[in-house]
Amino acid sequence: MRKRFWVGGILLYSAALTASVLIWLSASEPLIASDVNRLMSGRVHGIVSVKTTADIAAALDKAKKKNLKIAISGARHSQGGHSFYDGAIILDMTKYNQILQLDPVNKIIRVQSGATWGDIQEHIHPHGLSIRVMQSSNIFTIGGSISANVHGRDLHEGLLIDTIESFRLMISDGRIIQVSRTENAEWFPLVIGGYGLFGVVLDADIRLTDDQTYVERTIPLSVEQFPDYFIEHVKDNPDVRLTVARLSTAPSSFLQEMYLMNYEKTALPLPTNSPALEEERAVELTKFLFNLSRKFDWGKNVTWSLQKRLFASETGTIVSRNIAMRPEIQFLEYRDVQRTDILQEYFVPLDRFVPFVVGLGELVLENRLNLVNITVRYVPKNEEALLSYAREESFAIVLLFNHKRSPREISHIERATQEMVDLALQHGGTYYLTYQLFPTDAQLNAAYPKAISFFVLKKKLDPDLLFMNEFYARYAR
Amino acid sequence: MTPKTLISPSVKWMILSLSTMTFGAGFVFPFYLIFIKEMSGNFTEFGIAFGLFTLFFTYLNRLFNSSSERYGRKAFLLAGTWGTAFLFLLFPIVSSVWQIYVLQIALGTFGAMQKTSKAFIADMTEGNQRGELIGRYHFGGSLFSGAAVIVGGVLIDFFTLDLIFYLGSFVVFFSGLMLIPVKESRVTS
Repeated sequence: MRKRFWVGGILLYSAALTASVLIWLSASEPLIASDVNRLMSGRVHGIVSVKTTADIAAALDKAKKKNLKIAISGARHSQGGHSFYDGAIILDMTKYNQILQLDPVNKIIRVQSGATWGDIQEHIHPHGLSIRVMQSSNIFTIGGSISANVHGRDLHEGLLIDTIESFRLMISDGRIIQVSRTENAEWFPLVIGGYGLFGVVLDADIRLTDDQTYVERTIPLSVEQFPDYFIEHVKDNPDVRLTVARLSTAPSSFLQEMYLMNYEKTALPLPTNSPALEEERAVELTKFLFNLSRKFDWGKNVTWSLQKRLFASETGTIVSRNIAMRPEIQFLEYRDVQRTDILQEYFVPLDRFVPFVVGLGELVLENRLNLVNITVRYVPKNEEALLSYAREESFAIVLLFNHKRSPREISHIERATQEMVDLALQHGGTYYLTYQLFPTDAQLNAAYPKAISFFVLKKKLDPDLLFMNEFYARYAR
Repeated sequence: MTPKTLISPSVKWMILSLSTMTFGAGFVFPFYLIFIKEMSGNFTEFGIAFGLFTLFFTYLNRLFNSSSERYGRKAFLLAGTWGTAFLFLLFPIVSSVWQIYVLQIALGTFGAMQKTSKAFIADMTEGNQRGELIGRYHFGGSLFSGAAVIVGGVLIDFFTLDLIFYLGSFVVFFSGLMLIPVKESRVTS
């Protein structure tokens, strides 16, 4: 009996351990909807994993019968409750992700809204095609990206809205309408950059470009040199395609050192046997370095000097556009019960970059914020979407803060954010709506003068406010 | 002072097991408080969760200790140890406050079972041995759990709180296995 008893115990425990780990890995926080960073969350009525268009219609029906709201979620990387609402039915669109059609001659792809940029890349890479505009990472869904009207790193492309030909939208009465610049045109600038408040985007026709060969070039600069260098050598240079700059958050060179990374066109042909798209490398190492930067000032110094050396060594590397547009993001995954990453993005006119950065530095130090990472990209003027953040040609500055999640600390960074938004506004800039709901009503209206008409049109086109999220609830009057 | 040769292997293994158990549980304990606070929305729920543990622990302590006279102490000790190991596996996958309440009650129950260990030691040792023995073996266990809590904090920062429950569970389960060579006997003195 003895031996059998102990062996049985060990087997039982191993089984329980395995089961627990498996459940833990597959758990998706049922009925608590939140953003990936768990900054905001809400108890929702239910989460519908959408697989077919009929699933969406059924959910809309149910919501209307039970007098519930509908919120739509994709990769859930927005940070202002754009993808959920208290008590609502959440449509999880991530399984609604078919590639419907590719027209390689006219370079147009039709995809369902839950597909990610990564899905598209895998599909079009063998055809020698590439995405025109997407975020700096490919994990986001098409629907979410359309709702936030994202921008990317390609200097000569505009915002995502420029690459959208048309899309199908299921609206509050259950009808499906085709929306383009010529058909149901009034919906076009509302849905794009409209945070899911006008209906469910079913699928979209997106314009593509050719895959190209680029050579990487890294240029170290000071903050003062950067805008002039950029305007003279980069902005109108047809050879520079993708570009992104990084600003130091290391105490040893805080907001002084930068480097610019350009991907420039070369005459070299694409590798003939177009290699498979690479997966992320060294995720754990980067994750570790990033965690050091979150935690310690010396970690920021070490990471910055490693980064400089790494990127300098990559100068001259030949990559295809598709490879260059698959940068790492997994390392940003962060699960700490007490702290979270807070992303923000500010847009300032090119000539206001230096004073903005100086002011930003003062605010960060004054408020003792833990600023971990900064990237700078270029955004051309584009006012097609009603809630457009690019009312002027700007630098887009993305800040990543690591901050405590306690209510007191959150209200601390809320106040600090309002100061940073004021700073951007003073310099004729704006901020990105995809992040926290910290800015005041007055700040929203100053940055987005058309916000009032946006909310008026929302009530007109969705009178029962079927499509709802925390962003609307916070700001709509 | 009692010469070391008088300590039977059973006693040695049992106290080693207890120290390992202290180590595993001590590793989890401070962070487990944060976990409960995280899961419960407010301090009221935190108070209820923690109070449930204490109430059950205290009440059942008496019951188990007296019934261990009849059913044997090793059975209780093992049930308490392995029960705790299994419960730790549930913490990473629960999601609501009522589940925490249930876990707390169960944890109090298994914790109370483990407390038969004191009588167990008393059974197996002679009066003048006990203090020194327990002191010697628990010293190591406690020293390690102090260090483990420090390491645990760093691990949580870099990974997740859930990892601590898995590590703790494994150590506690392993401490149960250390009871294999322990034979129940009573020193009558």
